[in-house]
Amino acid sequence: MFRGIIDLKSLWPIAAIFIVLLILPPILPRFYTYILALIFVTSLLAMSLNLVLGHGMIFQFHHGVFYGVGAYTAALMLAKSSLPMWVGFVAGPLMAAVVGLIIGWFCVRLTRLYFGMLQISLGSLIWAIVFRWYSFTGGDDGIHGIPMPPLISSLNNAYYFILIILVICLVALYLILKSPFGSTLEAIRDNPQRCEAVGVNVRRHQLMAIVISTFFAGIAGVLFVVLERSVFPDLLFWVLSLEIFIMCLLGGWFTFAGPILGAAIMVALRTFIGIFTEYWTLILGVILILLIFFLPEGVMGYFLEGFKPHAKEVAERRGE
Amino acid sequence: MSNGSGLREIKNKINQGGEIIVKRTFIIIGVVVVVVIAAVLFYYFAIPPKIERNIKVGVIDCYTGPAAMFCKEALNGFELALNEINKEGVLGSKIEFTTRDTKFKVDIGLSMARELVMRENVDILVGTISSGIALAVSDYCKGEKVPLLVWISKSERITGEKGHRYVFSTGENTAMFGKAGGVALAEKPFIKYWIAGDDYEYGHAIADAAWRNLKQRKPEIEKIGESWWKIGEPDLVPYITAILAAKPDAVIFCTGGASMVNVMKTAKATGMSEKVQGWIPTATETAILRALGPEAPEGMMGTSDYLFYHPDTPANREFVKAFKDAYGKHPGFSGFHGYITAHFIAEAFRKAGALDREKLIDALEGLKIDSPAGEVEMRACDHQVVLPIFMGVTKKVPEYDFHISTDIITLTGDDVMPTCEEIMKARGK
Amino acid sequence: MEFGLAALASQLVVGLSRAMILFIVCAGLSFVLGVLRVPNVAHGSLYMIGAFSAYGIAMRLFGGSSAGFWLALILAPFVVALVSLIAERALFCHLYEREHLMLLLFTFALMLIFGDLVKIIWGAEYRSVSPPALLRGSVSMFGASIPRYNLFLLIIGPLVAIGLWLFTNKTKIGKISRAAAVDREMVSVIGINVSWVFAAAFVIGCYLAGLGGALVAPTVSVTLGMDHTIIIEAFLIVTIGGLGNMWGALVGSLIFGVTHSFGVLLWPQFAIVFPYAAVVIVLFLRPRGLLKSVW
Repeated sequence: MFRGIIDLKSLWPIAAIFIVLLILPPILPRFYTYILALIFVTSLLAMSLNLVLGHGMIFQFHHGVFYGVGAYTAALMLAKSSLPMWVGFVAGPLMAAVVGLIIGWFCVRLTRLYFGMLQISLGSLIWAIVFRWYSFTGGDDGIHGIPMPPLISSLNNAYYFILIILVICLVALYLILKSPFGSTLEAIRDNPQRCEAVGVNVRRHQLMAIVISTFFAGIAGVLFVVLERSVFPDLLFWVLSLEIFIMCLLGGWFTFAGPILGAAIMVALRTFIGIFTEYWTLILGVILILLIFFLPEGVMGYFLEGFKPHAKEVAERRGE
Repeated sequence: MSNGSGLREIKNKINQGGEIIVKRTFIIIGVVVVVVIAAVLFYYFAIPPKIERNIKVGVIDCYTGPAAMFCKEALNGFELALNEINKEGVLGSKIEFTTRDTKFKVDIGLSMARELVMRENVDILVGTISSGIALAVSDYCKGEKVPLLVWISKSERITGEKGHRYVFSTGENTAMFGKAGGVALAEKPFIKYWIAGDDYEYGHAIADAAWRNLKQRKPEIEKIGESWWKIGEPDLVPYITAILAAKPDAVIFCTGGASMVNVMKTAKATGMSEKVQGWIPTATETAILRALGPEAPEGMMGTSDYLFYHPDTPANREFVKAFKDAYGKHPGFSGFHGYITAHFIAEAFRKAGALDREKLIDALEGLKIDSPAGEVEMRACDHQVVLPIFMGVTKKVPEYDFHISTDIITLTGDDVMPTCEEIMKARGK
Repeated sequence: MEFGLAALASQLVVGLSRAMILFIVCAGLSFVLGVLRVPNVAHGSLYMIGAFSAYGIAMRLFGGSSAGFWLALILAPFVVALVSLIAERALFCHLYEREHLMLLLFTFALMLIFGDLVKIIWGAEYRSVSPPALLRGSVSMFGASIPRYNLFLLIIGPLVAIGLWLFTNKTKIGKISRAAAVDREMVSVIGINVSWVFAAAFVIGCYLAGLGGALVAPTVSVTLGMDHTIIIEAFLIVTIGGLGNMWGALVGSLIFGVTHSFGVLLWPQFAIVFPYAAVVIVLFLRPRGLLKSVW
């Protein structure tokens, strides 16, 4: 069934990257291992958003809520219940998907910015619950020191765990996009009226995409808990959601792997500019503007244009 | 959107590329990853490790957003003290520090703490104003066995329920402020109270502590209502007019930071300060009153653990003069906390006699140092600093262009701190 | 709890005065959204710059005198307009052909830059602006005391609304920008330089943000982070009013201001969720906002 979906020739660079990432932790300083793991988690989060944003043109403005719900569910299960550890790991993404289903069900009736603003409002209600329910969620202080199974408690092991889950999720996302469902989603993005006319249930497809996307956001949330062992309401706040959105735009939101690059750039800039100057948001802003001016299709989009034979033609069309 | 069609064409073009594009995508990722790894390896191996070194302190705090004022001032106080300390040195070397901005976000705070510990190899961490960050970093420090000195964050959980061997607090906390407020208000004739504040941990913790202590001392008091606004709420007039409509005898405001300025301003603008007695934990804090200038209300009861004009001792005058010469303003509580934090670190290293984290912690426990506000002690049982708290009432004076605290009552640390037994009970030992 | 008519009336007045500030800020946001079709995330930063400029002019240059306040009220919005004009002509105007989400990314970058620039110029201290002598203190109305400044806002708000109505309906540039909001291709076809229409619309929108900032300065502490508090609320208001519709912004602001002040009276514990709950209810009933949207 994979014929035509995965090109064997294109597999070797992926495998090479994977192997390099596998052998890195023992030779890297611990801090860089940590940053790489953080980039993996953030990448998965951005990729999950891009499933609906880039491929579905759904303005998922408050994606952070599902990340936070996944993280909080896993954290609460691990810290407060005596259930086996893996139950928490599975419950996180499921809970995120359930919340995604509920919020999505209300939101899909709306389009574009209205969709986004309704989602921000509904998401912020969840944020307010987490922020205020001191006895259960720890309020604005959050929950820290969440116990982890010994197998993934060391930094290197957590890194491997996150990397493997990330690879599995990326393959799953790729297959979803190449499936008939993914094609329908992109068709809806490009022309919802026509899709409606040929009998596609647009709302149901969009809702389905939101549920899948929030499920992966929940996985990212669980991985965040594995890495940081802390949860706090910032994970559900709209500022973080805006940042994820920016990562997708920056990396190139209509490419498959663009958000990974966007996430890597944002995390790296935030960490390494912060070392040199207090005014790192200023520098981040300037870099973003430079990227917007010189790489109009996002970073990944730029590279793709450079590779493509008909790049000029596209550029000419844009100029019209 | 009108130009959606142009975009669609491009996307179609890209989709036509199909698998080739995906292949290219991964090649690019590969290139980027390899470049990053090469850069990291180069950085790692090109810089040889130092052998003889200074004591390194990593400061994580918030230098962006509304909290930045307090954090910058704490850093000023810290720097001022280090300049004094480094003149004679500690164990033959100097103390140096490096700062990281957390942007008041827990995830960034955690990343920065890791970066300082793993990459900069700091000996001690110092920070932060946010209790969320303080608790998260405290937990990380417990695992890494790195001492963390918390200097502004006022959550009582840091050294209380969530305390452990590696975390210290060099500032007062909500339990102390709340108890001070409860003790002081019990002396007053008010019966009907209203509680209002910022809707987050700090506000609720102070409200709980103040109310518990007040009720204990004066059981006949009555709470007629509560209102909580979101942090950073710009317009407090509706809240104050609603409170005035309920006609309480006194209002306990549990706010911090920028909200303080808003509350005081609104209390004056609505005329509340003339009708109802208000108590606000940090109302007499210099930084707040300085920001308000002539807009501050008179007669507001407040609490602070440092006042640059009280006690009027030579040590305090000397500190204030040095601070004012260096930074052009009078020190507030956070400048004072920064100052004593540096002295605690230096004294503890001198007492420990070695550059060793465990010995430093042993030395810090029970350490007493002289400070501008008199002798302060790091209590051994819970790692919470013992310092006096000053209750007072805001008043306009001719000497300064801002209000100051008068009719000061000093409560010693022992009066307002929970006992060691209570702390151990909270920690569940 | 029981409240007299006096309490309800005073909450109404206070809520309306808050609504006026929100209206001024949101009208600007909505105008830019309507004409340029850009969700300007940096709008809150311009509001913050307005407040800081008002502080700089009123307190630093004029030492807190009454004349200084009035001058600040006039000049501070122009400072903001100038900043936005520079940003628009130097950078933003080259991006109009781009995908709209990239413009969102651009305004996000502007927000980051403005936030730090304010810190570099004015420092991290809390600032406070004194209202002029005429507007200090409170007056007794319906048995409750209401700050004079809030009554002043009740006068300013309608004046700004009338000014905006005159601008969009009676001036040429206003009419053109309304037309550009509906059909920009058509406007450019009849030979109008759309780029300059956009510039004018952007600057006017930002001027309103600055005016809102200058007006709010005497009632709050002027601090870093003001941008974050206002921007999300402003977007919610613009949405429930109808995207790009300035009168929608007025309706949205009134709903926000008044429900908030009554909510605070009746259920003070839940103040944190009011704005979000209001949006959810409105969008359930009217999925495209209360008034006609241009989107």
